[in-house]
Amino acid sequence: MTGTLILENLHIEYPEVLLFDRLNLQFPAGSLIGIETDVLDGATSLLKGIGGMLSDIDGRSILNGHDILTMPASERARKVGFVYENEGLISLYDVFQNIALPLEFHTDLTFAQTQSLIDATIEALNVPSTLVWMQPHELNDVQTRLVNLARALVMSPELLLIDELEGGMPDDMIDSTMQLLKGKARKDNMTVLLTSSNEHVLREVDQVLKIKSNQLVESSV
Amino acid sequence: MQPAKGLRDEASARQNGSISCNAVIGPPSMSLADDPPKQKSNEPMRVKSVDYEVPNRFTVLGPLKMLVNPVAQLTSTVMDLIGLISVALAASKLLFVKKRRGIFMALFYRQIYNTGVRALYINGAIGVLVGTLLISRLFDYIPNQVMEDQFGYLFMVIVFRELGPLISGVILIARSATAITAEIGYLRLRREFQVLNGLGISPVFLFLLPVFFAFPLSLLLMFIYFDLVVFLSSYAVIWLSNPNADFFALLSAILSQISLNEIAINGLKAVLGGMMIGVISIHFGAKVESSFTEVSDAISNSTTTQLMVFFVINILLSVLAYTQ
Repeated sequence: MTGTLILENLHIEYPEVLLFDRLNLQFPAGSLIGIETDVLDGATSLLKGIGGMLSDIDGRSILNGHDILTMPASERARKVGFVYENEGLISLYDVFQNIALPLEFHTDLTFAQTQSLIDATIEALNVPSTLVWMQPHELNDVQTRLVNLARALVMSPELLLIDELEGGMPDDMIDSTMQLLKGKARKDNMTVLLTSSNEHVLREVDQVLKIKSNQLVESSV
Repeated sequence: MQPAKGLRDEASARQNGSISCNAVIGPPSMSLADDPPKQKSNEPMRVKSVDYEVPNRFTVLGPLKMLVNPVAQLTSTVMDLIGLISVALAASKLLFVKKRRGIFMALFYRQIYNTGVRALYINGAIGVLVGTLLISRLFDYIPNQVMEDQFGYLFMVIVFRELGPLISGVILIARSATAITAEIGYLRLRREFQVLNGLGISPVFLFLLPVFFAFPLSLLLMFIYFDLVVFLSSYAVIWLSNPNADFFALLSAILSQISLNEIAINGLKAVLGGMMIGVISIHFGAKVESSFTEVSDAISNSTTTQLMVFFVINILLSVLAYTQ
């Protein structure tokens, strides 16, 4: 099934710190999964581990039958999107170039196609069009995360990993962004895994998990 | 007056015994002259172990380590640089994809502009100074007749072969290579390499390749520009003392001395020198991990290494090519 994510014995351990002990989980395609997070509980590392952005981890993270951890970088970049909680943009480029970079590098779209895709995405995210010509250092935290999200969404990934999107966002912006994500997930069969400590966000997802004893367990939120 | 909340909490925790004796309270470094902290009567007696370490230099292994460590460090740096060059060459195959070449070319032009074009001002200023100084000194030491006959040869030996490459290289190191090291260090601090890896884009492609190709070309441009400016300022000095000096005669005297061999050696100095300066910049910048102080260390180490390597390359090539 497109977008189905299966974690098989996923084990994340730093020297002397065990974060996740052999996770075995399955997430259906088109679903929004929330991970209730706390300070320094390893949720960001979990997302990076699932997305194949950490080295030296054990187990498998299987997306649509392919192990993300052993996938070539370019294939992984097309299938997995990552939204950083902080920064995450390349300071060499302005906002437009940041969003366009993966499209330019990994696809054969023309410049006009790239531009119309970016325009449509930032409009859907309610990002002011003037923002695209700004430099990353001119953005505030919320704008930076929205640009990160736009960059991930333009690639139409099968798996979208979002690290605490909501910090500093007003409720109506959280609502509209979550509705957009839900719609994209259902329409494109995209699996979305997001970490959050915000109940407002966690109420909008299909399933909420929390980190307990180096495992992911069902949460009551 | 009540102490601040943090201090109150710490004091009460201390009374409850919930802060361990090892918690750091005062300044981390305490000199021998400072009074030792007084033991509170209700705290268990602390026994501080003192290790009387024998400094390395007084053991048999000490001098050996002092000899071996720099060699090991140098070997490791050389291996890293060879690795970076091979990685850059391997990543060059990405340039065959048209869209990726577009991304590269934008960064390459930016690098050429910053390194080769914007350096013309300082390169030109130093060229003027060198040209006027050189010719005024030569006039002092060499008889006028000899000077007129040998101008082309002297210019070629002093400026074209040695001073042009050396001064241009030093300007490249001082002006652009330090900036590259700082930029890469800053990108490392901001974890932008990780972001690029997450996007499936090699940082080598985006940061190393443009420098790898732009630095040699910039250096070559700087050689040419420097030689040209030195010639023009030399002519100006000659013209001041002899208004009948023929510009084209002097120019053709120089050109007649510059053989294909001279051009090839200068080209090699630009290619090898520029490539090594660029790779060393990236190498030291990429060693930055978590602190801003590492950036200044990186710049310092990078500049020292670049100067050494660039001078060695220049002298070796000159000795090999021009020794009779």
